[in-house]
Amino acid sequence: MADEWRLLPLRIDDAFTSMAIDEALLRLNAEGKSPNTARFWRWQPSTVSIGCFQRVEREVDLEVARKYGTDVVRRITGGGSVFHDYDGELTYSVVCGQGDVPDDIIESYKLICGGLVQGFAQLGLRAEFKPVNDVQVNGKKISGSAQTRRWGSMLQHGTVLISPDVRLMFELLKVSPEKISDKFIASVFERVTTVERELGRKPSFEQVREAMVKGFEKSLGVKLSEGEFTDEELALAAEFKPKYASDDWLRKR
Amino acid sequence: MVYAEFKAPKGVIKVELELTGERISRISISGDFFMYPEEAIDKLEQALIGTEADKESLMATVRSFYESTCVQTPMVEPEHWVEAILRAAGG
Repeated sequence: MADEWRLLPLRIDDAFTSMAIDEALLRLNAEGKSPNTARFWRWQPSTVSIGCFQRVEREVDLEVARKYGTDVVRRITGGGSVFHDYDGELTYSVVCGQGDVPDDIIESYKLICGGLVQGFAQLGLRAEFKPVNDVQVNGKKISGSAQTRRWGSMLQHGTVLISPDVRLMFELLKVSPEKISDKFIASVFERVTTVERELGRKPSFEQVREAMVKGFEKSLGVKLSEGEFTDEELALAAEFKPKYASDDWLRKR
Repeated sequence: MVYAEFKAPKGVIKVELELTGERISRISISGDFFMYPEEAIDKLEQALIGTEADKESLMATVRSFYESTCVQTPMVEPEHWVEAILRAAGG
């Protein structure tokens, strides 16, 4: 019999709540109080998240963010800045014991991103894992993930790009000239793709979620069973939320 | 403070530093790399303070940081931090 992990309901929250929920799940999983869990969620309002080592002024045009009412938040995970479009992205989080994934970091990304690869296959797309932390379709990034390991447990969260506003993304993010020139391609349109673009139609968030649930079940070899947040998880998330909303946290580096 | 960046195979390393004579007196490293555990970045910065900004000294400091903390940085190697720092120092 496959192990059973919990699948939480699709939620739509502001960035600070979502980041706080992820940390609460990670901490409580490490304390043995939360089961291994997968969840899918959306960002409202749309948000730019930055990696835990990034400096916000270098990565995000805060004037533009203010103009469009886009939130900006620092993650507890490394990696780069991401524009999370309310209408165009489904986000996932997986929390489990560190012993439930390979020790090797790239191998553990491969396992969890493997769930996305299988999920894209459910949608009719041939995707592949691109180390360290990306999933590509037709050589273009369609999903990016970031992982942290703390207190004996692991959190990996990441994006499924369904139909983000790429023009707004470009306006919000300060892209390093060196990064662009290195790829010999000046346009993000040639490096990033979306489910809508690849399929020629926009599936519903629920359809994408169902596909990814099946994908994770296959890749992780577990059964994902619908469950609910515990009161303890929501209470701890409420406790963490002010940190993520604070200017101190945003400007930590 | 002087500033430079360097693109490692995974991630752009951004370095802001101040030199007093030949030695690093202030340094701040940021970027879109991964480091496990994340808190190790503070130790790296601390270890670099007081280090002479030449390739050999920097390499010795960064290598000993890796050895003493068991830190993992997928697709970023000691020489990539050193290169980023040298670029900033050479400004």
